[in-house]
Amino acid sequence: MGFWVTTVIFLLAGVVASLFTLLCCNRGPSTNLFHLTLVTTAVICCWMMYAIVYLAQMKPLINPIRSGE
Amino acid sequence: MARGGGGGCCPSMDLMRSEAMQLVQVIIPAESAHLTVSYLGDLGLIQFKDLNAEKSPFQRTYAAQIKRCSEMARKLRFLKEQMSKAEISTSPTQLNETHLEFDDLEIKLGELEAELTEVNANNEKLQRTYNELLEYNTVLQKAGEFFYSAQRSAAAQQRDIEANQSGQTSLESPLLEQEMSMDPSKQVKLGSLSGLVPKEKAMAFERILFRATRGNIFLRQEPIDELVTDPVSGEKVAKNAFVIFYSGERAKAKILKICDAFNANRYPFPEDVTKQLHAVQEVSGRISELKATIDMGLAHRDSILKSIASDFEQWNHLAKREKAIYHTLNMLSVDVTKKCLVAEGWSPVFASVQIQDALQRATVNSKSQVGSIFQVLNTKESPPTYFQTNKFTLAFQEIVDAYGVAKYQEANPGVFTIVTFPFLFAVMFGDWGHGICLLLATLYLIIREKKLASQKLGDIMEMMFGGRYVIFMMALFSIYTGLIYNEFFSVPFELFGKSAYACRDPSCRDATTEGLVKVRGTYPFGVDPVWHGSRSELPFLNSLKMKMSILLGVAQMNLGILMSYFNAKFFRNSLNVWYQFIPQLIFLNSLFGYLSLLIIIKWCTGSKADLYHVMIYMFLSPTDELGENQLFSGQKTVQLVLLLLALVSVPWMLIPKPILLKKQHEQRHQGHQYAMLQDTDESVGAELGEHHDESHDHEEFEFSEVFVHQLIHTIEFVLGAVSNTASYLRLWALSLAHSELSTVFYDKVLLLAWGMNSVFFLIIGIIVFVFATIGVLLVMETLSAFLHALRLHWVEFQNKFYEGDGYKFAPFSFTLIREEED
Repeated sequence: MGFWVTTVIFLLAGVVASLFTLLCCNRGPSTNLFHLTLVTTAVICCWMMYAIVYLAQMKPLINPIRSGE
Repeated sequence: MARGGGGGCCPSMDLMRSEAMQLVQVIIPAESAHLTVSYLGDLGLIQFKDLNAEKSPFQRTYAAQIKRCSEMARKLRFLKEQMSKAEISTSPTQLNETHLEFDDLEIKLGELEAELTEVNANNEKLQRTYNELLEYNTVLQKAGEFFYSAQRSAAAQQRDIEANQSGQTSLESPLLEQEMSMDPSKQVKLGSLSGLVPKEKAMAFERILFRATRGNIFLRQEPIDELVTDPVSGEKVAKNAFVIFYSGERAKAKILKICDAFNANRYPFPEDVTKQLHAVQEVSGRISELKATIDMGLAHRDSILKSIASDFEQWNHLAKREKAIYHTLNMLSVDVTKKCLVAEGWSPVFASVQIQDALQRATVNSKSQVGSIFQVLNTKESPPTYFQTNKFTLAFQEIVDAYGVAKYQEANPGVFTIVTFPFLFAVMFGDWGHGICLLLATLYLIIREKKLASQKLGDIMEMMFGGRYVIFMMALFSIYTGLIYNEFFSVPFELFGKSAYACRDPSCRDATTEGLVKVRGTYPFGVDPVWHGSRSELPFLNSLKMKMSILLGVAQMNLGILMSYFNAKFFRNSLNVWYQFIPQLIFLNSLFGYLSLLIIIKWCTGSKADLYHVMIYMFLSPTDELGENQLFSGQKTVQLVLLLLALVSVPWMLIPKPILLKKQHEQRHQGHQYAMLQDTDESVGAELGEHHDESHDHEEFEFSEVFVHQLIHTIEFVLGAVSNTASYLRLWALSLAHSELSTVFYDKVLLLAWGMNSVFFLIIGIIVFVFATIGVLLVMETLSAFLHALRLHWVEFQNKFYEGDGYKFAPFSFTLIREEED
């Protein structure tokens, strides 16, 4: 699973979550926008975290060295 | 919704802006004033202004009623005290709406108080008599014993004397004494006194008596086995029963005085045996009689208190409510004709209909002939800040409010805090095992929230309960970041596929020297489990987490700057967009945005460039060749441009804004001279009893002050960009500390105990591990990560846009008053 596939999964999860809040807690446009903001922020935060860790391991400069006995 | 400050730049969003407020004036006819205020208190959406601020509490219109309310509160406190003394608990608040009038309640409370005081006084008197009788009873018993034994010894002596007389041979018998006892004419009538004296004073009592009467008394004391209730003080004391024999009236007077001084209670003791018997009978009869009376009195009092207890909460509530109403009424100004009251206050715009409805109902229900008048006033005062929160958003909003209440309608950081606060917490607390523990604890609070909300909790528990949704979000995010860090109580799992690394050759000889090589695609999600426990784990994690902190920090700071754009747009302040928002954005991103970009490029290309070196020499010698530190072609040019942009944006922030502000002010001032007509309108309003400060309007413009302010702001931003970015490194430090601590507990406690091969050590190890995990990792680490996340929001995020100098909307509401009590 490459970087872009997972990113698309995050995107889909974000869309699904947004639709979910839109359908389940539809309480007028301003509340919906609020919910949308929350979902978007959460997805972006999570994705950033994932992306950072993934990218950092993509082209490693140091290798894991087993602690020898 | 947005009406006050302008706005309309973007669609409205819940919680982003505080509710639009308006200053309203209500003119209420005096006869319906009380009911109107009461209905408005039920509604709880209007914050009354004190229009009598210059008057002392005693000069106000309803001072007398307030005094009555306080008196009632005192009576209620008295009743409560009596109930707690009698160990009768009040029934929990069940507000059945049997409407009780204030005056009726006052009378009723007065009656109850008088009745209770009387019952108590009677009871006390009876109790005292009862205790006296009990003492008398003991004295009768003890003294009876003395007399009996004394009589027997006297009779024995008599017999001795008779025997002596008949024999007259005894040499030992003292001559003088015999003579004395022989002479009946000289016999003195002996008086006797009996009573009880406190045990600790008994010795002194005896000594004083002996000295005062020069030994011419006979005193017998005997301790009483049980404690005796003292009639005067009502306390249980150890006492001695005493009998004194004396001769002569002068001695008696002295003894009486001494008895009084020693708090010795005296009781008459008949010397005659038949009389004694009679007294004993009488006393015991009266004791049982009194006992019955006292019991009946107590039962009567209890029944009164029980009947009070069932209604107490309701009365208490009513009294508090009335007091609050009169306090509010005191804040209204009375019209000259005294026929109506004028109220002014803040209310949310959306509440206008509800308020008018309440006014209407009050007019009808109080059968007033004139209705109340409701009108909106124009004002330049800054309205209070009111966010409509629910139980989920409330705690997050409180986190923001703890720093400062938002200025009226300014962008609320609370919106993003709901996600970013738990997220940053989780970056420092990434362990999905610990996350699950936290989640379970907070789920317990959430599931039982109805029950817990009605209970009284301890201080710490109360705080946790208030923040249960914050902790819930924190737990969810820490489970996520725990999966990213691949740590479950510091143990990694291969949840998302196989590790990307393997040995170079089948023998795996150089795995401990040269290290493993990457054989597959990167581990798909999170940190590769192979790093855990490896020798290069720390260098790898340090580099990763440090860079992550910078990236997250730059992102959050950019969000903060973006919020300042929304604010400027909302308040239609294009100056702030062009001379604050844009240069700030450029400055931050040309330095730290560029650093973030370099980090990402370095990761993507696997370049070995030294980023410290690049950043430092970007300032020191921007024209030098980069050499091996070059990450992409044309980097030198880009850096030069960015550096220039950063340098330009500093004076851009500093100079134009004060100059333009001065220009604007001069323009406005010129225009003002031709627009005097507006003022007449306001003077009409002023006659109606409004006292608005118009001083804001004609504010003096001090260029130097504005410039200094802007200078400070610019310096703060420029220095802050560096120090704030550095401050985000706490994410790295805390998360490292957390993972290292949990590794230590796992390796050095649990695995060590496991290696002992003994059940006993294993159990000890597990117990220590559990307590260390809960105490250190789940409680202390949570607290410290919470505080650091709090700081990152308050300082690093909010100082980019948040002014936080507003004041909170504090409506007159009965529900709020009741909550405050609890």
